[in-house]
Amino acid sequence: MRIFQKTNFNFIGFRKIAYAFSLILLASGLISLVVKGLNYGIDFRGGSEVLIRFEKNIDVSEVRSVLDEAGISGSLKQYGLDRSFLLSSVFSGETNELKSLVSNAFDARLKSNPHEIVRIDAVGPSIASDLKWSAMKALIASLLAILLYVGIRFEIKFATAGVIAIFHDILSVLGLFSILGGLFDFMPLEMDQSIIAAFLTIAGYSITDTVVVYDRIRERIRGQKPADYERIFNESMNQTLSRTIITSGTVLLSVFVLFIFAGPAIRGFAFAVFCGILIGTYSSIFVAAPLVFDWLRLSKSAVHLRGSKAS
Amino acid sequence: MKNKRFNLLLIALVTVVALWSLWPTWHDYSLTRELNGARSAQDSLNYAMSHRQEIESARQKSLKLGLDLRGGMHLVMEVDQIDLFEQKAWNKDAKFTAIMNSVRSKAAKSDARVLDLIVAEFKTENIRLSRYFYDIRNSDREIIAKLEKESDDALSRAKEIIRNRIDQYGVAEPVITTQGSRKIIIELPGVSDQNRVRNLLKGTAKLEFRLLRDPEVLVRTLDRINTYLVQNGTSPAPAEQDSSSLAPVEAAQPVSAAPAAPAPVPSGSVAPSTSAALPLNPAAPKSAKPLYDLIGVSENGTAFTAERSKEYVSILLKRSDIQALLPPDAELLLAAKPDVTPEGEKLYSVYLVKKSSELTGGVITEAKATFGSEGVQPEVTMSMNSEGTSKWARITGANIGKRIAIVLDGAVYSAPVVQAKIPGGNSVINGIESLEEAKDLEIVLKAGALPAPVRIIEERTVGPSLGADYIRAGMLSLSWSFLAVSIFMLVYYKKAGIAADLALVLNILIVLSVLAGFSASLSLPGIAGIVLTIGMAVDANVLIYERIREEIDAGKGLISSMELGYDRAFSSILDSHVTTMVAAFLLYTYGIGPIQGFALTLMIGTAASLFTSIVVTKEIFAFLLGRKLMSEKSFG
Repeated sequence: MRIFQKTNFNFIGFRKIAYAFSLILLASGLISLVVKGLNYGIDFRGGSEVLIRFEKNIDVSEVRSVLDEAGISGSLKQYGLDRSFLLSSVFSGETNELKSLVSNAFDARLKSNPHEIVRIDAVGPSIASDLKWSAMKALIASLLAILLYVGIRFEIKFATAGVIAIFHDILSVLGLFSILGGLFDFMPLEMDQSIIAAFLTIAGYSITDTVVVYDRIRERIRGQKPADYERIFNESMNQTLSRTIITSGTVLLSVFVLFIFAGPAIRGFAFAVFCGILIGTYSSIFVAAPLVFDWLRLSKSAVHLRGSKAS
Repeated sequence: MKNKRFNLLLIALVTVVALWSLWPTWHDYSLTRELNGARSAQDSLNYAMSHRQEIESARQKSLKLGLDLRGGMHLVMEVDQIDLFEQKAWNKDAKFTAIMNSVRSKAAKSDARVLDLIVAEFKTENIRLSRYFYDIRNSDREIIAKLEKESDDALSRAKEIIRNRIDQYGVAEPVITTQGSRKIIIELPGVSDQNRVRNLLKGTAKLEFRLLRDPEVLVRTLDRINTYLVQNGTSPAPAEQDSSSLAPVEAAQPVSAAPAAPAPVPSGSVAPSTSAALPLNPAAPKSAKPLYDLIGVSENGTAFTAERSKEYVSILLKRSDIQALLPPDAELLLAAKPDVTPEGEKLYSVYLVKKSSELTGGVITEAKATFGSEGVQPEVTMSMNSEGTSKWARITGANIGKRIAIVLDGAVYSAPVVQAKIPGGNSVINGIESLEEAKDLEIVLKAGALPAPVRIIEERTVGPSLGADYIRAGMLSLSWSFLAVSIFMLVYYKKAGIAADLALVLNILIVLSVLAGFSASLSLPGIAGIVLTIGMAVDANVLIYERIREEIDAGKGLISSMELGYDRAFSSILDSHVTTMVAAFLLYTYGIGPIQGFALTLMIGTAASLFTSIVVTKEIFAFLLGRKLMSEKSFG
């Protein structure tokens, strides 16, 4: 079976539209980050969370009113879609007190609908800032490492454009998290450790498609005149289009399965990786390669390729 | 295709090792099924008895499930370094206390190392560390080095003691590690009584034997505090309840039963009237006897406070202006357990004890929870080492007729009157509510005292039902993603897809076997990592196959197309795998807890796919080519 056979898209011709699209995507994300900010999960915010599951269907407002009556403050949200609710409140070292308060409140007021406390998390403020700091370290270190690796493997213009594409992908997903955060009951899209893991996965994977396109361009551009670059870029991207789409496609398939089956704890992560890979595939075709093309065009110089053999 | 024999051997070896490492997991699984499938409990017990060794060894070597899948408790505890350094200091004065208080408030707000904060604080005050720490001749640097070692020692000692406590409590496969300079991470799978474990871990278990001051001194001291409170007009009524979150529900309970022993105080000076002695209403407006609204004094000169004012009294007693009113070398402590009056009121005794202890828990060699002489009251009997025994004999001999308080973590368990000299080094803690509590006391006393108090700063509890849900979700995701991806490969690449799918199976086996072999555990994020690996591992095959198709389309022969395909796709495959592995590795290095599980499986899976997707598929093709089972059409 073949899906993309002998395509002939003028990707380079589309690049201005693509740049505009990317800029709008990034700008709206940034604006939302500034105006609305991000929803921080318990990992980074600190606090206590109690996950309560009821045996029968119950409305969130009913659960809330029981908690209000019992004098338990904190925010209550539907968690996933299966009669589960997440109560978040301030951190206290005594989760037991919180547990028995909640438990007693429901036992007394909702006798007909038994509940179970399936999870309690309490993260102190010092741990939260530790987690935040180590997440930042991991993110910065991996971006640096990838920059270094790509810089060694590719010429500076290719490497730079590739890393810009990575930033493009991560910032877009971050922006999406801010824009869509809290809009859906089935995925709260909170920033926590797992989202950092998603960013690192995106960063590591985003370069895959870019590398495939780059390798092909490198292979074909050797000894060619700058006037032919546009044709070569377009042809290279068309030739590799099939594998770019299919490599991303298999990963998207897996991540989609995660999103559907792995439950609410993984859903934010799966969403982030899904968007990241989608945007990463787009950016390897419409951002990374066109940036190299424009750079070469503006600098009016032929590419100086490293001595590596065409691969 | 060179090195054919070597590659085949390697593949066979990897497969065998992977299967061998996963064998106990399979064995454990089938044994467990056998056990659960038994017709009766007796059958199942018999089976377990006859196959005990087999079951145990399989379980030990099998793939461990993470805390989130099994249910259990994850705790991060912090050693209170400030307290530790305070213990190490000499001739502490008001200045020192002020400095430490300032450090305490700063440490609460920042991540900086406590020692750095202390050093900085001493610098700004322009005091040398040697004024309080170690020898006066030591330079600051020497002292910092010593304190650093002290805090490292304290951390590892605390870890050992916590491990002892957990081992004696009995948790299967606890994982206890230290992180940084003051954190201990504790993972307890399958713990059901979380509260008990929490209490077991939290207490410092600092046991002290302290002499009680005479009742007259207690009464005079209380009078003094009362007068002070009257003069300063500070009503001891508690401030508004912490409005933070969970306001206790029964804050405004009406005053209940009458006090048990509201008799006038023998010394007569501030005889509280019957009504004022115990209503103890903390919210009462300014009163002439602010303290006696909270604390009652009985005929024989013992003082007590009701359960509802206990919290407030203990805060009041910690106030520095109140402590200044106490006689030198004395401290007011509350009882650990209440005495229940016939009317059902719970009263906590208030003791005035000497600040310095006569003997500490360090001399205890053996502790045992038993029932007392009447056979109903649980107690813990303790025996001491020879040094403790002789000291204990001297102390008891010198204080016959006086009371000695047995203090654990700042709360008085009992304060018996010394009847006679105790030569055998025995002592008893009573006033314990349940046998369970006595057992826990036994555990903490045997394990020894923590070098400094510890605090729980992170706690995550997963109930077993949620764990079961996670396992189901993880298994569903794994099987669906494997099905979806492998069927896609078959449909899209036909015969070549078979090779990719076989390689994928081997890849998953390798990931699981590495986890099992290194006793790493599989968590839900770990499963997510494997699912992601499934999608990424076939990428290498996609790149190779697409290249082969291209070469075939360009008119090259099958064999040379395949050679070229593997050869030319390799660079892209390597680049993409390396970047993914770098990201996963850094995530593993800097990540904490569950994220590490994800990073680990992703890292193993990506590395393994370099082998499976390239070497393994190549050998499969070589085999098929040899049997003339491949054609140009085999790549779809």
